[in-house]
Amino acid sequence: MSLIDEKDQVRTEEMLLNVGPQHPSTHGVFRLVVKISGETIIDAEPVIGYLHRGTEKLAEDLQYTQIIPYTDRLDYLAAMLNNYALCHTVEEALGLEIPERAEYLRVIAMELNRIASHLLFIGTYLLDLGAMSPFLYVFAERERIIQLFNELCGARLTYNYMRIGGVKWDAPPGWLDKVRAFVPHMREQLKMYDDLITGNEIFLNRVRGIGVYDTETALAYGMSGINLRSTGFDWDLRRKKPYSIYDRFDFEIPVGKNGDCFDRYYLHLLEMRESLKIVEQALDQIPESGPVLGKVPKLIRVPAGEYYSGIEGARGELGFYIVSDGKDKPYRMKIRKPSFLNLQLLPKLLRGQNMANLIAILGAVDIVLGEVDA
Amino acid sequence: MWHWEANPLNGPAVLGMVIGGVVILILTLLVVMYSIYWQRKLIGWIQWRIGPNRVGPFGLLQTAADVIKLLIKEDVVPEKADRAMFLLAPIIAFVPAFTVLAAIPFSAHHVFTANISIGALFYVALSAITIHGVMLGAWASNNKYSLIGGMRSAAQLISYEIPLGLSIVGVVLMAGSINLNDIVEAQAKSGLWYVIPQILGFIVFMIASTAELSRTPFDLPEAESELVAGYHTEYSGFRFAFFMLTEYVYLFAMAGLFATLYLGGWSGPLLPGWLWFAIKAFLYISFQFWLQATMPRMRVDQLMSFSWKVLLPLALVNIVITAVVKAFV
Amino acid sequence: MSEEGRKPGEAQDQPADATEKPEAPAPAAPVTSAASAAPGASAAEGADKPAAQDVAKPAAKEGADKPAVKPAARPAAAGAGAAAKKTPPPDPRAEAAKEKAEQVKAAIVAQLGEAAVEEVGAAHFVPMLVIRKQDWPAAVDLLRTHPDWRTNYLEFMAGTDYKDKGYIEVVIYLQSTELGHFICLKTRTDRDQAEIPSLFSVFPGVNWEEREIYDLLGVTFTGHPDLRRIMMWDDFKGHPLRKDYNEWDERNA
Repeated sequence: MSLIDEKDQVRTEEMLLNVGPQHPSTHGVFRLVVKISGETIIDAEPVIGYLHRGTEKLAEDLQYTQIIPYTDRLDYLAAMLNNYALCHTVEEALGLEIPERAEYLRVIAMELNRIASHLLFIGTYLLDLGAMSPFLYVFAERERIIQLFNELCGARLTYNYMRIGGVKWDAPPGWLDKVRAFVPHMREQLKMYDDLITGNEIFLNRVRGIGVYDTETALAYGMSGINLRSTGFDWDLRRKKPYSIYDRFDFEIPVGKNGDCFDRYYLHLLEMRESLKIVEQALDQIPESGPVLGKVPKLIRVPAGEYYSGIEGARGELGFYIVSDGKDKPYRMKIRKPSFLNLQLLPKLLRGQNMANLIAILGAVDIVLGEVDA
Repeated sequence: MWHWEANPLNGPAVLGMVIGGVVILILTLLVVMYSIYWQRKLIGWIQWRIGPNRVGPFGLLQTAADVIKLLIKEDVVPEKADRAMFLLAPIIAFVPAFTVLAAIPFSAHHVFTANISIGALFYVALSAITIHGVMLGAWASNNKYSLIGGMRSAAQLISYEIPLGLSIVGVVLMAGSINLNDIVEAQAKSGLWYVIPQILGFIVFMIASTAELSRTPFDLPEAESELVAGYHTEYSGFRFAFFMLTEYVYLFAMAGLFATLYLGGWSGPLLPGWLWFAIKAFLYISFQFWLQATMPRMRVDQLMSFSWKVLLPLALVNIVITAVVKAFV
Repeated sequence: MSEEGRKPGEAQDQPADATEKPEAPAPAAPVTSAASAAPGASAAEGADKPAAQDVAKPAAKEGADKPAVKPAARPAAAGAGAAAKKTPPPDPRAEAAKEKAEQVKAAIVAQLGEAAVEEVGAAHFVPMLVIRKQDWPAAVDLLRTHPDWRTNYLEFMAGTDYKDKGYIEVVIYLQSTELGHFICLKTRTDRDQAEIPSLFSVFPGVNWEEREIYDLLGVTFTGHPDLRRIMMWDDFKGHPLRKDYNEWDERNA
């Protein structure tokens, strides 16, 4: 017999909580309807589409070069990579030859952009976890990269730098030296972040063993990028399906061990180091001068057929699929959006966690809503 | 020294009390204003920024501008909120915060501070009332984030009140009095601030007081990235200002308590007592801001277990050691 | 789109001067272009890597022998278009892909019968098979578990509306992370009664992709646990990525 009479007990009920679309930690207009009992999450239902601009539909009425600025707006933290992913698919379709210098400029721009994007991840992730300073620290460094990009292409966020067959402009005089000076500086900064953040006991307690999944799940859910590598699975397209000139560089693909949020955080840090290595090597190898845009017809017509190619974006495999009917505009363009696919596992990970872990897990997925919603 | 307990309650005495209260209020508001300014400056420097520098020289009037902005804002009460409680909550939260200042001895020859014989207890008891204001406000807002924030707040403040109270017991044992004035005088007389003999209690006090103030890394009740703004999500304008004021008055009060209990309050060589007190309080406040710029936030379950499984035993150990030393050494 | 359907399209957009070089080598892979494309060809590393490179090499050599073509400044496509007009040039990489597609077909046919595979070809340089829609999940699952293929990673999924051909096509690119195969599978469904069995039971990761295709192209995935609109709002009418979608259409009002 129970000591307490059932009907005397306080009645409790579950509560539906809308996390977002306006919420400080959803990194944009992302909505998560969570059913909570106390602070424990019973169920979570992501709702996306608030930032859907129909990029794929718009692209059907645009010439290939005209699509490039639209790709800037997908993952707006890594626009160089988006630019490249589109150009890469079209170049593959055309079988184009890219001038050497352009390839190197592209790689430098992409890897710098990857660093900028990862920096922002670390800043916002720590901000989500309640630490304010890292956000401002990484912004200072990101600002340097953005200034470099500003000099390179005249824009701070939406670069529109890559062109089919090369890049729009050659680097301004002295730019490469600035990048060269930036690399050792950034390396020191990374070491500082590592010292300041990775060893913090409170931080470790919040991210270790949280949001764990294994390689099998990650593959079944189509995850890519750091979200996949954190499970210990070595899958980086720069290695597995080398594109551009990545086969010329010596770099490592860091992989995680436990597949938890800490691994995902730490891999961002490690990947930045590898990106710096690539930038450094590219700076050493880049030809002194030369054309930066291959000879491409004024009006680019992709031969009829369908083409898919993916690159290793900042958030995972970023791919463009183009169906062409031989005209100057794609018949259909579809983007493989890494954050979109990485986000799918979220409800599963959240079940049984509490509100604080929700933020930690969501933050570690590293989504950009511009990309998720496209 | 003039003692209000020893004098008849006549017209001039009441007037004196009112004037004293107003002076303390103004002093407190000034301290709060410049605490906020200092917070923004210091954190700004830590984060490679400049901090406020536009309003007034060196941005010194920035907080005044902010306060004026808050005061002239529209007073919004959500339609579905419990109006009466919603309006009352900030006041319930603020009054005890201000009242506890009465027990803090700012200087050796304090004029306006009450020389309460149960000073330390008075502080702990009154400060607990603020939780009610916070919870009422959270509940009355009729907002889910507020509710969660209020619940967290209640759980956290009550949990940490216990180690905080127990850490004070160590000091009380050493001084042999609960009167805060006597505690200061005991330290001044022995020439040894209690931070050294009471190092264990000091550590517990620092952690528990940070949690009591809901400051980083214990800022869960208003965890911005999780709960938007926690219990004051729905508050705006001067009601919000009241909650903010409460928070910073408590910061000042806790700094005063800290200085009194562990750093010998107003006692110190050469400089006048009030300055010593100010320096010590300033140290504590700066320490809190430093923490805020450094630490991430703890998780709610870890927070609880940390209080009950780590701090509480530590505080108890401290009491036992203090008692044993006091009795046999 | 099949390989056969591509030829006429290629021929029509050649620049006028492309015809000046009728001796352009058949594969039209200028040396540098072939070299830079090699990583692409070896995309699916592992089993098909040597094959793809072997066939790519002679092409490169041939190109090197004819310096006239080497300043392939001219996009390869133009050259290819020129050649396509005279003699349809079988690109060795496409041929290899087709060959591999036949092997995949053999594996599927052995289990699901001859009718399961409707068409075999290459999507650019990726082996491509069109699967009958009734056998869609079964075929995908078969390849996933088949010891020779083990395509355990669904890398990409898309739907395309071919209005003129009267069908909607759903395409997936499967990757085997162990064996390195990269295969493109397709299935087609009628435009008016667009319905395809869901792959959710095989790859739970297609959940949102299928929702997106349902939302934007109006394909019903039978057996999908949660088929709702994902990008557009719930009471949105119509499917924007269909080629005949018109937002002023009364049906969509």
